[in-house]
Amino acid sequence: MQISQEIISNLKKGGADFFLSVPCKLLANMITILEDDKDVYYSAIPREEEGMGICAGAYLGNKLPCIMMQNTGIGNSVNSIVSLLQLYQIPVVFLISYRGTSGEPVGAQAGMASITEEILDTLRIPMLHCSTERDLEKISTFTNHAKVVEGPVAILCNFNLMNKD
Amino acid sequence: MNRFELIGLLQETLQDNLVVCNIGLPSQELYKINDRPNYFYMLGSMGLSSSIGLGLSLSIDKNVISIDGDGSVLMNMNTLATIGNRAPSNYTLLIVDNGSYGSTGDQKTFTNEKTSLKDVAIGAGCEKVIECSGEETLENLNKALADKVHSYVIISKIKSGNVPIKPIPLNPITIRDRFRKSIGLVSYL
Repeated sequence: MQISQEIISNLKKGGADFFLSVPCKLLANMITILEDDKDVYYSAIPREEEGMGICAGAYLGNKLPCIMMQNTGIGNSVNSIVSLLQLYQIPVVFLISYRGTSGEPVGAQAGMASITEEILDTLRIPMLHCSTERDLEKISTFTNHAKVVEGPVAILCNFNLMNKD
Repeated sequence: MNRFELIGLLQETLQDNLVVCNIGLPSQELYKINDRPNYFYMLGSMGLSSSIGLGLSLSIDKNVISIDGDGSVLMNMNTLATIGNRAPSNYTLLIVDNGSYGSTGDQKTFTNEKTSLKDVAIGAGCEKVIECSGEETLENLNKALADKVHSYVIISKIKSGNVPIKPIPLNPITIRDRFRKSIGLVSYL
């Protein structure tokens, strides 16, 4: 719970004030924290692509949105990232549980894991890798980076880091 | 009544509200009829007009109208569940249901066959769902905007068909910034 708490605190410190999630067991603690947080908007949603649209609208209404999802969600969202978020230069923070990284018990997650960073690279989306607790303090500055670059940025939280929380 | 006529008919209400408009011909027609800074024209991401408007309505107190099409709603139908469970009272989804993918050459959609977006919206949890003719749409839209308790989904059943029209010449950042300025969020323009 401590790692999830630190991630949420740093996202909020960086300015994020509107949160959506598509569930992952590695995000479960963060979802629990956000459900009880009265300072920010939070909702679960059924699909990531839809979330890109909701985030875009929230930004138009002066929020800094954060969508929490598995890395598989990037695959569901490529067109909306390029032809909505990047086309209109809309800041959104992707908080990604990086399934398929070391420690992952489900072999089927390996496929998307093996191409996740290539996809993000191809999309020219800045990445922050979090593999140890020391990395978490970088999240607040990186959250604000979305506003600076006026586009999506991605925080990748490795399996082992989140699984021990 | 076709979409061009419907969008024209709705101007007296749309022009004073924040509108998110579907990609392709709906936005191009809206632009041609009455370009306004408080109209957010989609230039990509088909299917997300409903979701963009929802995110905006959750972030500000003003009324927000998403203009969407039957084909686009069919592409992003899960968002009706999000709307049914989360949409605030300042949100209205106006689905212009002409039974066809107008922007791609008027291919028929499933609303021409067995699919009822009214039934889908009700099943998804939307409480106020109105299906009406094009002529009845303005009255229902005004009713939706005046209701401070419920969000609405209005399905306007009209004829398919398009008018000759050009792409929107505006740059996406121009659309973004003048829209945000109309909400009072941009001071540098």
